Amino acid sequence: MTRPMLWGAAGGTLMILAAVPWIASPTLIQFGISTLLLATLAQSWNIIGGYAGYASFGNSVFYGLGSYGTAIAMVQWHLPFGVGLALGAVLAVAFAVLLGLLVLRLRGHYFAIATLALAEVMIAIFSNLDIAGRNIGLVLPLLRGDALFYEMSLGLLALSTLAIAWIARSRFGFGLISIRENEEAAAVMGVNTTLYKVLAFALSGFFCALAGGIHAYWITFLDPVSAFDIGLNVKMIIMSVFGGPGSILGPVVGAVLLSGVSEILSTEISSLAGLFFGVVIVTAVVFMPRGLADLGRRYKKVGWHYFADNVRAHRL
Amino acid sequence: MPSSILAVRGLTKRFEGLVALSDLSFELERGEILGLIGPNGAGKTTLVSVISGTLRPDDGELTFEDHNLKHLPAYRRARLGIARTFQITRPFPGLTVLDNVAVGALFGTGAGTRELPRARALAHEKLDFVGLAHRADQRADALGGPDRKRLELAKSLAMSPQLLLLDEVMAGLTLVEIESVIAIIRRVREQGVSILIIEHVMKAIKSLSDRLLVLHHGQKIADGAPQQVLDDPQVVEAYLGRRRT
Repeated sequence: MTRPMLWGAAGGTLMILAAVPWIASPTLIQFGISTLLLATLAQSWNIIGGYAGYASFGNSVFYGLGSYGTAIAMVQWHLPFGVGLALGAVLAVAFAVLLGLLVLRLRGHYFAIATLALAEVMIAIFSNLDIAGRNIGLVLPLLRGDALFYEMSLGLLALSTLAIAWIARSRFGFGLISIRENEEAAAVMGVNTTLYKVLAFALSGFFCALAGGIHAYWITFLDPVSAFDIGLNVKMIIMSVFGGPGSILGPVVGAVLLSGVSEILSTEISSLAGLFFGVVIVTAVVFMPRGLADLGRRYKKVGWHYFADNVRAHRL
Repeated sequence: MPSSILAVRGLTKRFEGLVALSDLSFELERGEILGLIGPNGAGKTTLVSVISGTLRPDDGELTFEDHNLKHLPAYRRARLGIARTFQITRPFPGLTVLDNVAVGALFGTGAGTRELPRARALAHEKLDFVGLAHRADQRADALGGPDRKRLELAKSLAMSPQLLLLDEVMAGLTLVEIESVIAIIRRVREQGVSILIIEHVMKAIKSLSDRLLVLHHGQKIADGAPQQVLDDPQVVEAYLGRRRT
């Protein structure tokens, strides 16, 4: 496909998706909002995990900071939603920069472990903050209008995907990918690795925070345990890795497919829904560790050998 | 402007008791090819790492052009015009061969170009130059040993360096391949690049180098014209051991 055709297809898809609130049932719209937000989170993880190659477990902290920033601004200071959203984003980005300067020196598993404990720390802190309503949490003003939340979520997903499309073709993105592929080789070729990693972390935090803010206002209730839920971070990783980390649309496809199937399972046979994610992780890691995006590119050429090659390549 | 492009003064690097470089001083002239030889473990690769900034020296001064390198991180040195290859090659395995080289053009000396199409065009030129253009669209991890060496070379050349540090780019190559790499390196020098080259292939380094520097246990034991250095009894002893009497 040529570039104008690609942009046309993307614009068309966006318009169709934007029309959903006028034709779909309330349940479907609600499913749409949560899926769009999850897809945004998967995209945000894609920036730091997929492009820069740093498996972050700190993204649920950015999400929580975005939620609380919005909630505190609206509930305690009676500021408009937009201001709250901005405050949450600023909080998350500032935290990402400070945290990044410290922990982005660690590589591989060590980085993952260092970020893993953060969510628990945040729960402890916010459970004791008066301004955040301690462990009871905050109740936000009610806004009836799922269509509005849907459009906001869609807009945010489009924005994050555009950002990634730009990254994929930019000098910045090449810097991130070279860091992922071999950090020392990247540095001696002139990539300012520290700066690039921190920027990627901050950008990832920015989108997480906005998704958190929209979600908090939509659900109208917020408490520390649900705001800083490490399970949400795991979901981002699964969706992103299943779809194709380091690709432009993979994480979106991963998020839509997985939350769709998981939604159907939880209404039909609820006990299986939990098992489902486990099965998906194991299957995906063994047979297609590079995700759907890579499968789509290579399956045409090598057929079912694709799966066997992956099993062999990783000596399982 | 000083005639030497790189000046090394009193360079020392220790690894937990082991002295890898010991009070090493030398200069690299502009446009010169300086061959660096010595037995295994002499400190040759350590020297390249200290100059390129991936290792910090314990003592000593490094001057490149008019810049004191001592406190500059690796990426700043790359932007000043210092490029290196790795003895154990370090491709970006998931990227195509072309994009591996494009990274060098996007960053590299003076922070490179910002435009991807221009970087890729330059990368193609460099692949052509090292004879790897036919594999441009393959992933780097599909390359075999000799092609990986060529890729290392192309990546460093795409950075448009002033000073090129080559760490055993000929190891594992056949005689014919070695001839072609020698020709490539000669042409790089003709473009005005100063070169520090580590090589075990004695014939290659003898014919390429303007001057040879011999390291042994991190110390400079000889420095001069290639033939003269290779005939030096001290050098012979370092390589072959003391003659029994």
